[in-house]
Amino acid sequence: MRRVCFFILWFSMLASPAYTAENIVNIYNWSNYISSDVLKEFTQETGIKVNYTTYDSNETLYAKLKANPRTGYDVIVPSTYYVDRMRQQGMLQALDKSRLPNFKHLNPALLNKSYDPGNHYSIPYFWSSTGIVVNSKYPASQRLQAWSTLWNPIYRNQLLLLDDVHEVFSMALMVLGFSPNDTHPEHIRLAYLKLKQLMPNVRLFNNDGVKSLFIDEDLMLGMAWNGDVYQAAQENSALRFIYPKEGFVISIDSMAIPIGASHLNNAYTFINFILRPDIAKKISLATGFATPNLTAYKMMPKVPLNNSMIYPDKKTLQRGRVQDDVGVAESIYQYYWELLKIGG
Amino acid sequence: MNRLARFSYLAVIYCFFYFPIVLLIIYSFNNSTYSLLWHGFTLDWYKQLGDDSDLAVVALHSLEVGVLAASFATLIGTIAATCLYRYRFFGKHLLHGLLFVLIVSPDIVMGISLLILFFLLHMRLGFWTLLLSHITFCIPFVAVTIYSRLTGLDKYIFEAARDLGATDFMSFRRIIIPMLWPAILAGWLLSFTLSLDDVIISFFVTGPDFQILPLYIYSLVRLGLKPELNALCSVMFAITLFIVIAFQLALPKKVNQ
Amino acid sequence: MKVDRLFKGTSISMVWLWLSVFALLPTLLVLITSFLKNDPVNLFHWQFSLQNYQALLNPIYFRVFWHSFYVAGLCSLICLVLSYPFAYLLARLDFKYKNLLLFLVIIPFWTSSLIRTYAIISILKAKGLLNSILLTLGIIHHPLTILYTTTAVIIGLVYSLLPFMILPLYANIEKLDTQFIDAARDLGANTLTTFTRVILPLTFPGIMGGIILVFLPAMSMFYIPDILGGAKSLLVGNLIQNEFLSANNWPLGSAVSMVLTLAMGVLLLLYRRANKIGQYHDEPLGEI
Repeated sequence: MRRVCFFILWFSMLASPAYTAENIVNIYNWSNYISSDVLKEFTQETGIKVNYTTYDSNETLYAKLKANPRTGYDVIVPSTYYVDRMRQQGMLQALDKSRLPNFKHLNPALLNKSYDPGNHYSIPYFWSSTGIVVNSKYPASQRLQAWSTLWNPIYRNQLLLLDDVHEVFSMALMVLGFSPNDTHPEHIRLAYLKLKQLMPNVRLFNNDGVKSLFIDEDLMLGMAWNGDVYQAAQENSALRFIYPKEGFVISIDSMAIPIGASHLNNAYTFINFILRPDIAKKISLATGFATPNLTAYKMMPKVPLNNSMIYPDKKTLQRGRVQDDVGVAESIYQYYWELLKIGG
Repeated sequence: MNRLARFSYLAVIYCFFYFPIVLLIIYSFNNSTYSLLWHGFTLDWYKQLGDDSDLAVVALHSLEVGVLAASFATLIGTIAATCLYRYRFFGKHLLHGLLFVLIVSPDIVMGISLLILFFLLHMRLGFWTLLLSHITFCIPFVAVTIYSRLTGLDKYIFEAARDLGATDFMSFRRIIIPMLWPAILAGWLLSFTLSLDDVIISFFVTGPDFQILPLYIYSLVRLGLKPELNALCSVMFAITLFIVIAFQLALPKKVNQ
Repeated sequence: MKVDRLFKGTSISMVWLWLSVFALLPTLLVLITSFLKNDPVNLFHWQFSLQNYQALLNPIYFRVFWHSFYVAGLCSLICLVLSYPFAYLLARLDFKYKNLLLFLVIIPFWTSSLIRTYAIISILKAKGLLNSILLTLGIIHHPLTILYTTTAVIIGLVYSLLPFMILPLYANIEKLDTQFIDAARDLGANTLTTFTRVILPLTFPGIMGGIILVFLPAMSMFYIPDILGGAKSLLVGNLIQNEFLSANNWPLGSAVSMVLTLAMGVLLLLYRRANKIGQYHDEPLGEI
């Protein structure tokens, strides 16, 4: 018994990590958003050790930073409207662009958007669009060009929708002709009523299993992110991605530095490193997501470049809308979202 | 009931437990990245696993926390259950209530409230905050298991021990613990399981330099489950199975009282 | 005896210290937050308000609670029915490697529950194992849609929570004194009577322990209903998660959590009351 206790004490002393030299940088990013050789290359070139941890949703990132501003992360990667929200609530540090010489490589079409005017707080990392995914073996798949066709009763219990309040409501708002960032309570209510009509067609709400569901043909039709569809199409070539006529949401995941960051210099070094065209190209090819780095984009091999799934042409891109923080209207959206789910 | 029926029932339940595991192991050889159907045999994922040293570190972290949390939780939980059973003291009902609240509390509420607590206490997030949180949520599971066994004990044993001159501590060490042994073991196993698999609470209370396996898996799932994870779980499963069986077979058998 | 006082004192203090800091304080934080006003920017205003609890009186939330009760209750029942014979047989087994068998029950659960849930998905899918087998055997002619229904959720919950029913039952049944069973037999009781009037009441604490450890987590779990149920309906766990994370309404989330705790507490109390009438055990000994 005594021996067991000593063993446990010794083990616990061994287990607690030693707080060694501070040349580190703490990166908090989405999983699967970088390749490990890029991280190794960074450490080799700069001598800074990377502590790379991951999260799976903006909400949990936000909640964690809100509850404890001293978490110690140096670089985080929130999505568009969360950048907006965190920026307005003073959770992010203003960026000193003079320390980011590689900023010039970014595509101007993706900069200076309403969620962060002048990009004082965020640097785009990856961008994606939300559209319709359909298996081309499905009859009438050619005629699917708009969100509104999903309401057709022949699609009863066939649809997959993303489990995200803003993606789903944006779809309804755009069908009704409103902006996806609409804050007018009456418009939101109308969107809710429109969605209620769609519910019989919805088989499930899901964010994670999208790829396997479409590859294995459990579902033939739904709403998805273009990155997912591109990767799924590698295993099932019958899958198609459609940019709907009424408009579609563009998400830009951006690097930002939170207020409580402990290794500011290293954070800038890291961000500048990622902005290097050859590095941006590497991570884009490794993960399959679209890079906002224009110089890197021009260096890409033909295959992803010409694939409209990942990189839509200019004309299509004009229909794209970025999501902003809806401020106080958030609670209205949440109320109707819960109502939608409880009634369903 | 004849032996055959008895063993069959046990076997059926064991199959129920192991079937998804077997499937998991088979899929770790699946020649496909995202599909959940069989596409052919490959060892690629195990090769990738071998190259990924980060994953090994993460898994090791989880095991460390699991073993430590389970052990401390079992210690505190056993003492708590015994005190609740034997003694009357100030705040007994409150203690009961607290244990109950810990079980009922949804993970997310516990996670966030502990995070705020650590913030107020100016504690740096990392290994220690994680360990303390894990111990805390495991304690009530141990306490409930042990308490339910305690209530089945013959209470006159304590009187008899007293009569023979034993102090409380001696009767705790010499009588209660041996008699509770299966419950203590069950409690330890429960705690280890809970700790190894906890996602939500760990997410909130761990720090940037201490990543654990369930978090790694949970965040990876968001972008599609890679069979490399299946390979990892298969390897861990094989190792634990091997250790447990070897341990059990090698131990000298104690005389069952 | 002085040594006794010391032992009693230290043990109680140790337990109290730990639980006060890590259980009582956080719980108080949650309780206090549930009475604050919501603020979208700072998460809450330091202002007393009953608006959260008032908001919960909306009948739509009753539906959420009711649905969760149903799912958690069904899950607990199935777990109990499956586990009891298993724990009984295992506990009474006269086998050299009995401990090993116990370990074998729990080892599968040391692999990530998320990955096991995905394994379950691959079994229940349209082209998955279950459908393939049933179709080949000719038992059904169209693939069963089990996935993304309540049935799938129950299967997933039962699978994840079964060991939490087995272990307390096992711990309790293992110490069952065969003398009682023999005595009953000697007095002429048949198997059924022995079971219902001797074994069942004696193992009752184990059953209660198991139900507590299964029903309560089942009420607040959210990712299994999400993954297997298609996130089409809200259970209490999803509601709380939603309020804390998506809606950023921490006060409301805390209020729902408090209501859940209270509801469970009331149930437990009622249950204890109902059983005091048929209690075989006296109160545990106080100070000796």
